[in-house]
Amino acid sequence: MSISKENIRNFCIVAHIDHGKSTLADRLMEKTGQVKERDMEEQLLDSMDLERERGITIKLTPVRMLYTARDGKEYIFNLIDTPGHVDFSYEVSRSLKACEGAILIVDATQGVQAQTLANAYLAIDNDLEIMPVINKMDLASARPDEAKEELENILGIPADDAPLISAKSGLNIEEVLEQIITKVPAPKGDDDKPLKALIFDSYYDNFKGVICFVRIMDGTVKVGKKIKTFMSDKEFTVTEVGVFAPKMFPTDKLSAGDVGYIAASVKSIEDTAVGDTITEVENPATEPLPGYKKALPMVFSGVFPLDGSKYNDLKDALLKLKLNDAALSIEPDNSAALGFGFRCGFLGLLHMDVIQERIEREFDLSIITTAPSVSYKVYKTDGSMLMVENPTHLPPTTEIDYMEEPVINASILTPPEYVGPIMELCQYKRGVYKDMVYLDKSRVELKYTLPLNEIIYDFFDSLKSRTKGYASFDYDVSGYQKSDLVKLDLLLNGDICDALSIIVHKDKAYERGRQIAERLKDIIPRQMFEIPVQACVGGKIIARETVKAYRKDVLAKCYGGDVTRKKKLLEKQKEGKKKMRSIGTVEIPSEAFIEILKTDHDK
Amino acid sequence: MAGIYIHIPFCRSKCTYCDFASYPRELNKVESYFACLYREIEGRGRELKDRVFSTIYIGGGTPSIVEPKFIVGAIRQIKKFFTLDKDLEITVEINPGTLDEEKVKAYKQVGINRFSIGLQTGYDDQLKRLNRIHTAKDFLICCNLLKGENISADILLGLAGQTEEQVKKTIDLCIAGGVKHISSYALTPEVGTPIYTDYLNGELLSDDEVADIYDKMRAYLKGKGFNRYEVSNFAIPGYESKHNYNYWQRGEYIGLGVSASSHINNRRFTNTYNIDEYLTAIIYNKAPEISSDVIDFEDAKFETIMLALRTEKGIDVKKFNSEFDADFFVEYKKALEKNRPYLNISEDFISIKEEYLYVENGIILEFMKK
Repeated sequence: MSISKENIRNFCIVAHIDHGKSTLADRLMEKTGQVKERDMEEQLLDSMDLERERGITIKLTPVRMLYTARDGKEYIFNLIDTPGHVDFSYEVSRSLKACEGAILIVDATQGVQAQTLANAYLAIDNDLEIMPVINKMDLASARPDEAKEELENILGIPADDAPLISAKSGLNIEEVLEQIITKVPAPKGDDDKPLKALIFDSYYDNFKGVICFVRIMDGTVKVGKKIKTFMSDKEFTVTEVGVFAPKMFPTDKLSAGDVGYIAASVKSIEDTAVGDTITEVENPATEPLPGYKKALPMVFSGVFPLDGSKYNDLKDALLKLKLNDAALSIEPDNSAALGFGFRCGFLGLLHMDVIQERIEREFDLSIITTAPSVSYKVYKTDGSMLMVENPTHLPPTTEIDYMEEPVINASILTPPEYVGPIMELCQYKRGVYKDMVYLDKSRVELKYTLPLNEIIYDFFDSLKSRTKGYASFDYDVSGYQKSDLVKLDLLLNGDICDALSIIVHKDKAYERGRQIAERLKDIIPRQMFEIPVQACVGGKIIARETVKAYRKDVLAKCYGGDVTRKKKLLEKQKEGKKKMRSIGTVEIPSEAFIEILKTDHDK
Repeated sequence: MAGIYIHIPFCRSKCTYCDFASYPRELNKVESYFACLYREIEGRGRELKDRVFSTIYIGGGTPSIVEPKFIVGAIRQIKKFFTLDKDLEITVEINPGTLDEEKVKAYKQVGINRFSIGLQTGYDDQLKRLNRIHTAKDFLICCNLLKGENISADILLGLAGQTEEQVKKTIDLCIAGGVKHISSYALTPEVGTPIYTDYLNGELLSDDEVADIYDKMRAYLKGKGFNRYEVSNFAIPGYESKHNYNYWQRGEYIGLGVSASSHINNRRFTNTYNIDEYLTAIIYNKAPEISSDVIDFEDAKFETIMLALRTEKGIDVKKFNSEFDADFFVEYKKALEKNRPYLNISEDFISIKEEYLYVENGIILEFMKK
């Protein structure tokens, strides 16, 4: 480790989703010999099954590369991969803080998209040097000049010498590596100053305890040193430090400018919160690093074990996930219909989806998630204010003076021909038009204020289907606005099922009630008896559907040769039944609670 | 009680719904098949010498398509090597259009006393569409040849375009032919059969339509003196099939020939579906089995319940308790409570109320542990 600080480059890659971030990361690792080509697994950094299947990056993953440049010198590159989806912009900002530069990828066939903008602005806000790269040059439809023009016109980023690459085919990757050296500044920081290490991520290892992913800003850290964080008074002795190569690789020390990890037998995740600063006990720094703004969960949903006896397993799973996912919030909850569970807060729907899938896959638990909700401000007649994230907790109408709901500023980038359909959609979602800007002749930016509760259901899907996938979307929460909201209850076989209640705008209550009752009728399988499904607002039934009773559910023949086969058929039927949850006498498939909300008015 | 099943895997042409082991193109193997079948009968007969068998059922395929000497030979062979009850029920399946006086005479002589005719429907256009080889008239001719005998007929529910009226007329035809027992099956489209295509294209009746026809048919049959004693089986009292009833009592049976299944000593096993494989196995003195499952204690209990609940009589609680050293009402308390509205519960028998027999799967599942 004789490479000096001047030869270290810490950077991340940011891009709109699907513009080739993970592929470029793979290619960089391959070119620097980090992985041999034949060992190359597609998209190395996306190590979760889920990430690979969906082609998205959820968690940030650091990796260290050694590169011998054309000038003959050897450089250390620390790449910190970042998630691309809008839900995870918080995580992006976490990795940005650990870097000096950002590679901004633009797809040569699509040009600048909503998240290109959002991520570029984030990088600029964090004082990062931006290095644009034009990707997907292997495609016939690549329009690199237009992409460069957009970068300059829309973002004001000079893109004249942006490398024209294909991460897929490996075209011009060396140019990227060389530009990292010339464009991304070397880290500052002083080895001799007291230790300041920014924790940008962490996870729990069963043997080593909490592993903190750190960027050393000042000082050095070695095995045996006593450390502490600013937010907790506890002291720990460092048991291991190392770098990501790309798997964790122990080294003798980490110094200012390095990106690596620290293990110190920390048993509790709270003792080393992400965003906190680690310093030495003997010679502590006086001030912590700025850290992070806490990510606020925007979407809330009940998470219940399908099998009530698995409550503790679910609790453990959620706590483990929360360990490196500060944005996930957890609170105990209980429902008359679903029993004991948790009310969880997520950054958005994708985040919620990802957490749900991780619980099911990594912890092998079957869960039920209820309809997502946002956090409402309820002003009561007695003058007090209540935050309500769970429709069941809404006070009686007589006690409510008025309510406010969260609203977002949405930015939608689209080719001009889809402006009409998008405006219609935003209108339907109770949006208020703000502005429309022609970024260039092929791209319009539409700005709307929209209630958050309208976009958490199916806004993305509707937007995609109305624009053939061409429009892109980004948003930030702008505040609260007064709104005429009501609680919509669903009755199954005459009883309110609290887990199905949602809060909706008054003008939409009738329509949604009808849609949800219809969806439930389709989702709930026929049973031994007829099941009335009713939607109700303020004690008034506004819609009714009926799940007819089973007429035929029988094995027509069962003779000597059939017994084994028919028994297996019944076992299969029983398996299906196990995925159902009994609400009173009615059996409901566990996915029903989410499925009912997928009711695009187009359909 | 125990039964013997013999499978005859030959037919003239394959019906569109048939997924049984039945091979129209293998008729040249009839001689060798029976030679081997006789050997299997001999072997199994010696093996099971200490059991008394009360029924023989010759099914197929179309048993009535082969020369009567083969069927007669099989029964003689059984009589030679098996221990049989004096009061023996012997059934043979008949396809209308394949029966003649000579066959009837031979069958009766060897002791066959029950004739199960595959009618399916009394409408010639529907028969043609099913690729049946006979007409409604052939059925009546067949019944005439069997005049005075114990005749059963199979009919199908759910055919494309089938109406309640057609099913009633089909029943009238059976009664005109002197039929005392009717098996009425809802068509089950199996993957690989031609009718599965009709099913995929929505040409067959829906489950609700079938259930409607079934309910009306049940009432109609009741009016004609036919009592439903199992989900799909109706009989003038005293004419129930002993052989089939044994299946629903979870009794023992030995299956002989291609694709035949057996249940002996808590083991269920099945012979190969392939004629050549069967012949080879027998020639080399090997068991022609292709699958074998040992039924454990819990499985045995569930099978008993699943099968008995198909019958009008239901679960014989005392028999269950003594066979499994159990207390049914304690062991299945939860399932009984949950299904109370759908069950007739007495101290001795538990059965499904008549209006719920056609939706019995959901009830049966509650008795499945795990």
